[in-house]
Amino acid sequence: MKVIQLKVNGGVYKVDIEEDMRLLDVLRDKLRLTGTKEGCGEGECGACTVIMDGVSVNACMVMAFQAEGKEIITIEGIQRKDELHPIQRAFLEEGAVQCGFCTPGMILSAKALLDRNPSPSRKEIREGISGNLCRCTGYNQIITSVEKASQYLRREEEEK
Amino acid sequence: MKLEVVGKSVIRVDGLAKITGKAIYPQDLFMDDMVFGKTLRSKKPHAHVKIDISKAKTIPGVIKILTYKDVPNNHHGVLLKDHEVLCSKKVRAIGDPLAFVIAVTEKIAKRAIEAIEVTYEEIKGVFDPFEAMKEDAPKVHDGSNIIYHYKLRKGDVEAAFEKCHAVVEGEYKTSMVDHAFLQPEAGLAYKDGDSIVVCVATQYPHFDQLEIAEALIMPLEKIKVINTAVGGAFGGREDITMQIHLALAAMLTGKPVKTIYSREESFEAHSKRHPMTMYYKTGANSEGKLMAMKAKIIGDTGAYASWAINVLRKAGVHATGPYEIPNVKIDSYAVYTNNPFAGAMRGFGAAQVPIGHEQQMDMLAEKLAIDPITFRLINCFTVGSKTATGQVLEESIPLQNCIEAVAEAMNFSKKTEGAV
Repeated sequence: MKVIQLKVNGGVYKVDIEEDMRLLDVLRDKLRLTGTKEGCGEGECGACTVIMDGVSVNACMVMAFQAEGKEIITIEGIQRKDELHPIQRAFLEEGAVQCGFCTPGMILSAKALLDRNPSPSRKEIREGISGNLCRCTGYNQIITSVEKASQYLRREEEEK
Repeated sequence: MKLEVVGKSVIRVDGLAKITGKAIYPQDLFMDDMVFGKTLRSKKPHAHVKIDISKAKTIPGVIKILTYKDVPNNHHGVLLKDHEVLCSKKVRAIGDPLAFVIAVTEKIAKRAIEAIEVTYEEIKGVFDPFEAMKEDAPKVHDGSNIIYHYKLRKGDVEAAFEKCHAVVEGEYKTSMVDHAFLQPEAGLAYKDGDSIVVCVATQYPHFDQLEIAEALIMPLEKIKVINTAVGGAFGGREDITMQIHLALAAMLTGKPVKTIYSREESFEAHSKRHPMTMYYKTGANSEGKLMAMKAKIIGDTGAYASWAINVLRKAGVHATGPYEIPNVKIDSYAVYTNNPFAGAMRGFGAAQVPIGHEQQMDMLAEKLAIDPITFRLINCFTVGSKTATGQVLEESIPLQNCIEAVAEAMNFSKKTEGAV
């Protein structure tokens, strides 16, 4: 047993971990943030994507001890008070959500992309979500959503 | 009439929960005093099997290990009750369930699985459906490996082929496909008074309820199935996987029992798309009108029937494609092998046959020196057409418009200029 400290969605947590725990297990089993999903456990599907220190990572491929002192953002942390994040809003409006299991990871990959590139082309969006598998939509609605979200976010910037 | 929903883009009711991470899939359920279940699965495709749980059950933290002896009525299956809940004497495919360990943690359950001693006495298996159809083939179950033969007869194909201007023949094979829905199977079951509640992601809560009640020999009203959010299915959640294991575990231990399949176990536990081998012979007259089609379709359903009968019937019914043909002879078969079992998957048998009938159309068009679009327009169903099964199509059949729109979108006439 070991105790690690990490920041998740703005809150600081001290968590008892076993050496073989993954960041995914800390989030789901210890903090009960079950919005982060496990689809494959080997870094293929992207359902467990979270943002760690600004970079999107597969939470199944990060050992818990590697997350010590890091800042993590999960799907539960991207909402703004009572308001949906523009990416969430766009996903809802464009019908980019079907079974929903890829959705949290997909939204976080989109956020990591838009944080570093506010106006991505459709090709760049495809690249940005290439680590996230979706078996329902065929991706087009997701790409359109990310495009729409980038417009929402740019408009917000302009209005500031 | 003013329509509220039809023709409009509506926000799906479960969308908000899903984009905020609040939608609950079975792996997201937690209960006080919850324990974990893990399935031991066969590593061999065809074998007599004996298992010894004596060492595994002494591991601290192991609560109970279920084997076939614990199952009141050890059968399930959507059409034929050919699955055992936990295999008793014989395994018929890799991945067949042998035991279900219930332990205080998932880690201990995994350790106990490894400590169960399994003795396999291998039997000659059969992995090719053609071999399986032979009289002397190894039998996957007790009876014949051929579990279904669908026959469609219309007119006289042999006489019609003789009069055809062009005839083409071909053999086509499709592969086994997994649905690979993104949410691996998971579930949680618990006792509520004298009832058992099973929370799973399923395509068939009412059918699961019936199968659990039958296997446990309990009244239907004492089994409650709660369908959580379902992380994709595509036909792959139509058969029982862990539902009965969990219900039995909750009944016998009195504790909430949860299990989550790994991606690997998910592949082993649920059905696949039927691989099909299709022989086609198709003939047309000199005007390009289809006159006869003969097809033999063999579907490998693996070790269990699942929906094989309906799937191979559908493949047979749809074997002509959307074309009117006066003389048709179709035979489709569903056959047991020791391969992973096949069942429902998007299209349910109708998705395989176009590989055959459409390639035949292209080959015939080439032989007749007619472009493939025109050839399809000559033969495709319209209102009033009669299908090979005798159904008269009386409703809207906009197939011609569809073909024409596709031809236009792909700039077909320009592409083929001078080609034929």
